[in-house]
Amino acid sequence: MNLLYFMYMEYLAKYNIPKLFGDITFYIIPFCIIALALLIIVLILVLAERKLLGYFTQRKGPNRVGYWGILQTLADAIKLLCKENITPKGVDRFLFNLAPVLVFVPTFAALGIIPYCAEFTFVNTSTNVILYLILAAFPILSIFLGGWASNNKYSLMGAMRSIAQVISYELPVTFVLLSIVVLSSSTNLTGITLAQYSRAGFAGWFIFPCIIGFVVMFVSILAELNRCPFDLPEAESELICGYNTEYSGMRFAIFYLSEYAMLFANSMFLAILFLGGYLSPFGGYISHILLGDSYLASILVYFEQVFWLFLKSALLIFIIIWIRATLPRLASFDLLKFSWSILLPVSIVNLLLVVLIKFGGLL
Amino acid sequence: MKFIKAAINISDGLLTVFKHLFRKPVTLEYPEKRRELNNNFRGKLTVDGCIGCGVCKRVCPSGAISYEKNLNGKVLSYTFDLNKCIFCGNCKYYCPCGAISMTKEYELASANKKDLKLKYNIGVPEEENIKENK
Repeated sequence: MNLLYFMYMEYLAKYNIPKLFGDITFYIIPFCIIALALLIIVLILVLAERKLLGYFTQRKGPNRVGYWGILQTLADAIKLLCKENITPKGVDRFLFNLAPVLVFVPTFAALGIIPYCAEFTFVNTSTNVILYLILAAFPILSIFLGGWASNNKYSLMGAMRSIAQVISYELPVTFVLLSIVVLSSSTNLTGITLAQYSRAGFAGWFIFPCIIGFVVMFVSILAELNRCPFDLPEAESELICGYNTEYSGMRFAIFYLSEYAMLFANSMFLAILFLGGYLSPFGGYISHILLGDSYLASILVYFEQVFWLFLKSALLIFIIIWIRATLPRLASFDLLKFSWSILLPVSIVNLLLVVLIKFGGLL
Repeated sequence: MKFIKAAINISDGLLTVFKHLFRKPVTLEYPEKRRELNNNFRGKLTVDGCIGCGVCKRVCPSGAISYEKNLNGKVLSYTFDLNKCIFCGNCKYYCPCGAISMTKEYELASANKKDLKLKYNIGVPEEENIKENK
């Protein structure tokens, strides 16, 4: 980010634009880029999920709007935009309107602290990991807000379930994160990424010393994202649609958008922690191998890093959709029991193992 | 032990679902692509070479067939009411001269109920009857 900052400042200094303007816009422009990229990515994700779910169940998925159904999500988005925003009787108006806004803010912020490539982290603090942990749990609070303000028993039940879920699944995540911090001796996501570098490519990834942690983290993130088989907060067959039963039109669209954005952010987070983030799985970058040490290669490397990160997260998203197509929903009680009696002890054992590997001379 | 069993079951299920990815989808995009019909398919009825014996009316389980007689008691025309017809094929089976046949036409939805009452005049060539019913 420093390199980009100085390049930007130099460019502004050429045209005698004050430094303050540069300081402000340097942080605004990236977030505009995120906002645009996010919209496009969510459109792609929704289509990919529906298509994949179709093929997993021997159907075709959406195939009417545009070639191969490409414009389906766009059509859905336009439909949601045109719909009426209904505010039911008896709702807490202020909180009801506030919840969709609040659900989007942490999602957006979480995307801002992910290192996309070596020079491109929008907010690079030294404790990125802990910040991310807090931001990832935040949408649940707005879900509870929306469910409570809706004045609907199904919404409230869904919201309460999501709170119980996030409380029980946040602890295993924390323990797994601690083991990652032990392995990399860093609480910065860029630091964690760089700690996984090795000449042999993927051999240095933390998934190998910490495979139990990866499984625990994956399951917990499924629960945090309210994905199948942990989609209790919006269980369609029991609670109609859970917390967003009463939402319609644009407000519902924002809930939907943030759900998929969080899916994307969390899969990238997993990829950074365990699959080496933006590092190439072959050790050296392809553009360096093809173009040598030329100036073009040094620029192309950044794009290649983004590509690797997106590819890894796409793989994880594929697995998440695959699981959704396979497993049925857990009962509410089983879910909590599974977390407290299995995942939490396993994650603590994993932390002990990792400490032994790191400081016991096993690695 | 219990968890190992559960893990095996889950992975077995995941594998089964994954195999579906490589199978051909069973969905057909209906108006453009249609399923191939069997030769025994029972669709819309047509009549050709009727002798007016009235057997079909008697065997029809849903009472979909009615006929018009002249003063001498001779049958002039048959009406097949597709609103009532259950496409069982009984009339075709019992017809003594094989006059009734069932086409492969199955898109019979119509905004007007009268369109589904097919009238076949006896002693008139088949094409004219079909023209009349369209």
